[in-house]
Amino acid sequence: MPGSETSPLVELTDIRIKLSGLQILDGVSISVPQGKVTGLIGPNGAGKTTVFNVISGFLKPDSGRVDFEGRALKRIRAHRLTKMGISRTLQGVGLFGSLSALDNVMIGGSAQVRSGLLSQSLAMPWTDIETERLRVRALAALAELGIEDQAARLPSELPYPIQKKVALARALVSDPKVLLLDEPAGGIGAPDMAELGRLIRSWVPERTVLLVEHHMELVMSVCDLIWVLDAGKVIASGTPDEVRNNPAVLAAYLGEEGAA
Amino acid sequence: MTQLLDYVLGGIGSGAIIALMALALVLTWRATRVVNFAQVGQAMFTTFIALSIQTLTGNWFVALIGAIIAGAILGVIVQYLVLRPVKRMDTSGAIIATFGVLIALQAAAGMIWGGDSQAFPQPFGNTALTVFGREWPLSAYDLVVIGFAAVMVVALTLLFTRTSLGLAMRATAFNPEVARLSGVRVGRTLTIGWALAGVVGGVAGVLVAPTSAISPNSFDILLVFAFTAAVIGGLDSLIGAVALGIGTGLVLSVVSGYSDSSNAPVAALVLLALNLAIKPEGIFGHNKARSV
Repeated sequence: MPGSETSPLVELTDIRIKLSGLQILDGVSISVPQGKVTGLIGPNGAGKTTVFNVISGFLKPDSGRVDFEGRALKRIRAHRLTKMGISRTLQGVGLFGSLSALDNVMIGGSAQVRSGLLSQSLAMPWTDIETERLRVRALAALAELGIEDQAARLPSELPYPIQKKVALARALVSDPKVLLLDEPAGGIGAPDMAELGRLIRSWVPERTVLLVEHHMELVMSVCDLIWVLDAGKVIASGTPDEVRNNPAVLAAYLGEEGAA
Repeated sequence: MTQLLDYVLGGIGSGAIIALMALALVLTWRATRVVNFAQVGQAMFTTFIALSIQTLTGNWFVALIGAIIAGAILGVIVQYLVLRPVKRMDTSGAIIATFGVLIALQAAAGMIWGGDSQAFPQPFGNTALTVFGREWPLSAYDLVVIGFAAVMVVALTLLFTRTSLGLAMRATAFNPEVARLSGVRVGRTLTIGWALAGVVGGVAGVLVAPTSAISPNSFDILLVFAFTAAVIGGLDSLIGAVALGIGTGLVLSVVSGYSDSSNAPVAALVLLALNLAIKPEGIFGHNKARSV
């Protein structure tokens, strides 16, 4: 089993999902080793984002199990993910257009604010303290990505690569154990991609990363382990070099003729 | 000119009430993208509860607190038991369901408290104030109403801008799925939005009742005015609801003063039609496309 030298933080076992009569995932088993960057690649429609949706609780598999930190997640509630230590970014940016960049990032840590409903509704003083702490953490997350000077701007006022960074900061602010990054390089240019690659590598081994990405150069340069999906099945896994030279992967991406 | 000034000043008190009810409509719209036509029914029901408390205790403030609590509870009940299950099916069904709730509340109030208008005791003086030797078209009670409206607007603004709960409510209003993924308990946040709207509507009901008496249908016209203000204000904007609520009150006061009070609803509908023709997104509305 690839990555077996470190214990898996997230493990999917024999996941099957059928939607509208189509078998989207067909017995998918994937392990995400702790403290590593794991890539999940495959052609369009392979089921990569569906895997993220299963881990995030947006989709309930027909069968199979998801384990996090060695324990089975029986009923995954999306709003509890950040508290558990799982953060996810979305394809695109998924920012709240009516909130500033700072507020967008603060939302990512709001689940960790412990003051009660009534005290917040009544705007009691201690809720101010907690909100202020969250604001400081959000600013630190923006600073980690070098965009703290953009904190007051609305997403529509920011260039796309900066919007992507705000979305990343929102995922980071809850100090997650695992980051699920769904096409983080989508829509950004080569210089920003190189910076993104350095950033992702800087998060390990303290954090674990599961990355869905189409840009093979980025995937091959940052991942320790890669899983390859095609038509809802795992067709290969291994190190970047192993995957790059795997005939089944070449066939999936280039077609049988291209692989030959 | 002096007469116009009097009409304008005379509209501030009623404008504050319209602003509060418009605020309640905006809160439910922001939370669930549903215009809650039952809002005035909820306000009427909680005002009847307040009247019962007032009769028992003789204390207007206790009655007001009772209305606030009852408004919150009724908001939660309507959202949880009616709106939540219906909205899972479709939004237009949810809007129709709010009409159903309005009719049900009016019928229930008629059965409990009777269908006749009942006077709500006046907690403060309702005679015109005399300042600088001149009698102004404002009473002490009008000032109390304006004060309450201002306090509620400030409190809501602080809640939305200074607390993580307010942040969660704003995020949920924009995109509930992403909010949920970011750790927001969306269902709970929506329910709080409706509870807050119930509180604001309940306060509006208790404030307007002493000036107009109360019956199961007495707040219906308030719905027309508040809906007009909320839509012209942009439906999404707290500031818009308040500004246009007061503005609507002023316009209606002037129209009533120069013609007849029975023309006020027509004037409101003319304002609404003009707004929809010229700036359908509302004065404070953004109506920008959302990108995810």
